[in-house]
Amino acid sequence: MKSFEYVAPKSLKEATGMLAETWGDTEILAGGTDLVTGLKQGITEPKRVVSLRNLPELRGIKSEQGGVRLGSMTTLAELSESSILKREFPSLVTAAKGVSSPQIMSVGTVGGDLCQRPRCWYFRNGYGLFAKQGENSLARTGENRYHAIFATDGPALFVSPSGLAPAFIALGATITVSGPNGRSRKIAAADFFQIPKSQDERETVLRPNEILTEIFIPSAGLRNATYEIRHRHGLDWPYVTTSVAFKVKDGVASDAKVVLGHVAPTPWMARDASNTLNGARIDDNLASKSAEAATKGANPLSQNAYKVPMLKAAVRRAVLAAAAG
Amino acid sequence: MIKAVETEVWGTGGNQGYNPPPIPYVFTKVPNTRLIGKGIRTNRGEQRAWRAPNHPQACFLTMAALEDAAAALKMDALQFFLKNVSLTDRAEVYTEELNKAAELIGYHQKAHLRGDPKPGPVKRGLGIAMHTWGGRGHPSECDVTIHPDGAVEAKLGSQDLGTGTRTVIRMIVAETLGLPLDAVDVRLGKNDYPRSGASGGSTTIGGVSVSSRKAATEALNALLSTVAPRLGTGADNLEATAGVIRQADNPGNKIPWKEACRLLGATPITKRGVNNPGESQAAHLIDQGVGGVQMADVSVDVETGVVTMNEMVAVQDCGLIINLKTAESQVFGALIMGITYSLYEEAVYDSFTGRMLNADMEFYRLAGIKDVGSLKVHMMTGEGYDERGVIGLGEPPVISPGAAISNAVANALGLRVPELPLTPDRVLTALQKGGKLV
Repeated sequence: MKSFEYVAPKSLKEATGMLAETWGDTEILAGGTDLVTGLKQGITEPKRVVSLRNLPELRGIKSEQGGVRLGSMTTLAELSESSILKREFPSLVTAAKGVSSPQIMSVGTVGGDLCQRPRCWYFRNGYGLFAKQGENSLARTGENRYHAIFATDGPALFVSPSGLAPAFIALGATITVSGPNGRSRKIAAADFFQIPKSQDERETVLRPNEILTEIFIPSAGLRNATYEIRHRHGLDWPYVTTSVAFKVKDGVASDAKVVLGHVAPTPWMARDASNTLNGARIDDNLASKSAEAATKGANPLSQNAYKVPMLKAAVRRAVLAAAAG
Repeated sequence: MIKAVETEVWGTGGNQGYNPPPIPYVFTKVPNTRLIGKGIRTNRGEQRAWRAPNHPQACFLTMAALEDAAAALKMDALQFFLKNVSLTDRAEVYTEELNKAAELIGYHQKAHLRGDPKPGPVKRGLGIAMHTWGGRGHPSECDVTIHPDGAVEAKLGSQDLGTGTRTVIRMIVAETLGLPLDAVDVRLGKNDYPRSGASGGSTTIGGVSVSSRKAATEALNALLSTVAPRLGTGADNLEATAGVIRQADNPGNKIPWKEACRLLGATPITKRGVNNPGESQAAHLIDQGVGGVQMADVSVDVETGVVTMNEMVAVQDCGLIINLKTAESQVFGALIMGITYSLYEEAVYDSFTGRMLNADMEFYRLAGIKDVGSLKVHMMTGEGYDERGVIGLGEPPVISPGAAISNAVANALGLRVPELPLTPDRVLTALQKGGKLV
């Protein structure tokens, strides 16, 4: 690990002022479960690390008129134990619990989960976001069992690692980020992620000198659930995650969103799967149809076609779990 | 009965040579066998020893083929193994162990022919495997010193891998001298201690138990010679027990240990015990050749490919067991290690760069507490086992898990997933191919 300057500012304005305008010069430290690994692996070598530990205003879960506000420094453990969230947004609680390591959950934060870097083993071994050696895409020709099955025509083949993002998107959450001089902007969770077009871009639309401060989840009366498939029963990355949310009136679904995780470089909106649910009566058969629709557009790499049937299971089970709510 | 086993195997020792695994494994008396082994050199590091080298592979390939044969015959797998047990070197022992394992896992209540007939995506199955190992004991020398103040030291250039070597040496020396455990100081791991073998091949316990027993016996005999005149009887008529030295045929005539040692004056007694493996085996102090049977109970989700361990049972013999707890611990540890290599553990290399991609604890997965299910261990003891002497246990119990778990998955799914580890992607791929290899 290279030496860096460590600062822990006491106000948000001070904190954003300490961030550089280009990626890589500074990094934000929240829980550190991802950043510290990245520092050790040498995939980021910042001159300055800006800790958010002295910003208590970024912590906490508040129930408000019209929804729930989550501070970005709220830990995954706090999230998973919140009675408000358990009652209204079980999909989020399931996603947080899916992290399953008590150590990571007690220090890892909501903002950190959304902004963590991909786990692609080529990226982590120093071959960059696009996993290249020379012109050769190692992820395309090599060990891609854990890589994307959607949007695989571009250079980015890693999968979005966020556990919470599919649930936030399905629930229609809004993310607030704060920039220099206290300027803040609101971004729909669905628009927060991007597929980087060059190695200089990151996986979100967050700018280098912005800090993710809070997430607002509207109380829209949605039934919701997350289903995650992973190899180990304890700490492990999912192969596939599905978060769903929909309204149910007289047994018929509307406003459905089916969002997939760990299958594309961003959380993946399965629009056909969502449309299949809208206006229909939720049952086993409909869940299977939605699952089938979720695989539309999947274009697996050489080693990960297995994710397609796995994805169907995750979608079907998430839809049924939400309906059972 | 099995009439013939024909095997063709490929394997790699990395950039070094390759020895094919011994197949048929355990069922060595099959009358007709042919084994063709082909080594493939690769641009990778040379092969290194792993607990029970080549045995897990031999066991996996043999036991999977036997279970496949039973399935093809539509015959219960346990019945098939029992029917062919005379083709093993130790038919009586394996029969006893198969029946014991079946009892512990509830085989007769749970077993079904290949393919769980129950509806739903989660299929359950049982699998069996049998293994063998040598053991014996490596050359070992040990010095036991009895000090005039009554202190006792055992020194040997051995090592404790965390498996209980230190505990066992202390037990042997203390029992030989009739002292409590905490009266003996065991010192290991220095070059100036007497030579004792490296830990490998499950030979440590056989080596150190003989050398420490002999050293303690000789040191005691020397002490008894010093004490005999004081008690007015011959050294041959003395015994050390419960912290005293006493006349064997008149236990009231005795002297406490410390007082006895004070008779040594200023000179401690140091005696060296030596294990010569051949002689020790002839004297039934140690032996070689153990057996074990393991059974696995798994659930497989056919929609996600995830294998869940419900239960694993290990029945193991290893001659005379000196400390039951540390012996059982060895087997529990082996089961966890075995579940790990059966379901999770895998080194992934990029073929273009030659780089290992998962040299971390994130994607080089080890089983965690939620992954191992319930574990049961039964050690065979008593007549037929104890009189064989001490036999090493380190390697044998890690051999069977791969085969037993693979057989259980085949029994659940109705088809063979032909690789280890049994990762969800491989299970789903095998289901898509309907059990065909390509």
